[in-house]
Amino acid sequence: MNRKSVKVVVAGGFGTGKTTLVGSVSEIAPLTTEEVLTAPSEGIDDLTGIEDKTKTTVALDFGRITVNADIVLYLFGTPGQDRFWFIWDELAVGAIGAIVLVDTRRLDASFPAIDYFERRGIPFVAAVNMFFGECPYTEGEIRDALKLNPTVPLVWCDARDRQSSKQALISLVKHAMSRLPAGTSA
Amino acid sequence: MPDETWYGDDGEPGGRLVPLYMLVNGRTSPRNTSLNLATQVTALPVDTSALEPEYREILSCCGGWISVAELAAYLNTQLTVMKLLVDVLLERGFLALGDPAERTVADYRLLETILDRLQRL
Repeated sequence: MNRKSVKVVVAGGFGTGKTTLVGSVSEIAPLTTEEVLTAPSEGIDDLTGIEDKTKTTVALDFGRITVNADIVLYLFGTPGQDRFWFIWDELAVGAIGAIVLVDTRRLDASFPAIDYFERRGIPFVAAVNMFFGECPYTEGEIRDALKLNPTVPLVWCDARDRQSSKQALISLVKHAMSRLPAGTSA
Repeated sequence: MPDETWYGDDGEPGGRLVPLYMLVNGRTSPRNTSLNLATQVTALPVDTSALEPEYREILSCCGGWISVAELAAYLNTQLTVMKLLVDVLLERGFLALGDPAERTVADYRLLETILDRLQRL
């Protein structure tokens, strides 16, 4: 028994096209699973004097690419309720890395994801989603605004397009490989 | 016996005859701590006729390898709950387990294999 699964996390702010990207490369229609998280209601649902915890249901969308008989790759889009997705440390376990989708109209929505993967040393690529039309910025301007480390690849993609999403995935796997000594086997 | 149906207290449509906490024997976290949402499981060829229907339903989806997350999605069960049910089935010898997830993927050849597959997408 040596069936193995690996993951790619698709992160980014709300509405940046995560599920669209997952769906464009997955061999199955994206599936949704739900989880109930119990988290302290910090400030957001502030009920002064009540030490309460909120229960939030978060949905997780995912897709699958069968690599061969022994290996299957799952693509997990981080939950829509962005303020909770980082609780899912479990997503990062066994992950090749992450694609952080960037919407140039709302760059700040991608900051939490970039910060999360950077702090944990998890390989990631920034993928600027062209879904919304022409991008008015240059790569340099976006890199500056996102404070991207020069080693982090930045790719342009249209999350609706299979070939384009595929290139973002390829760029991530190559980036993850570049951080390993060639020929190593676990 | 009065003709009453108890729909349980978990508010699920249609209700459950057996509350989930009884199905998992009060277990609140998996004993197999390597269980991850992407962990692969598959049914072992053993007699399932004595099993509760909830467990048989899971096993009926495990003819090939499948992840905990897919089971949760197909059977419309919360991920945490599915993990517990799978944990029980593993322990009772109804399921076999794939490789545990590594903290990070540091296997160059594995990545090469994946890259090759992606390029053919």
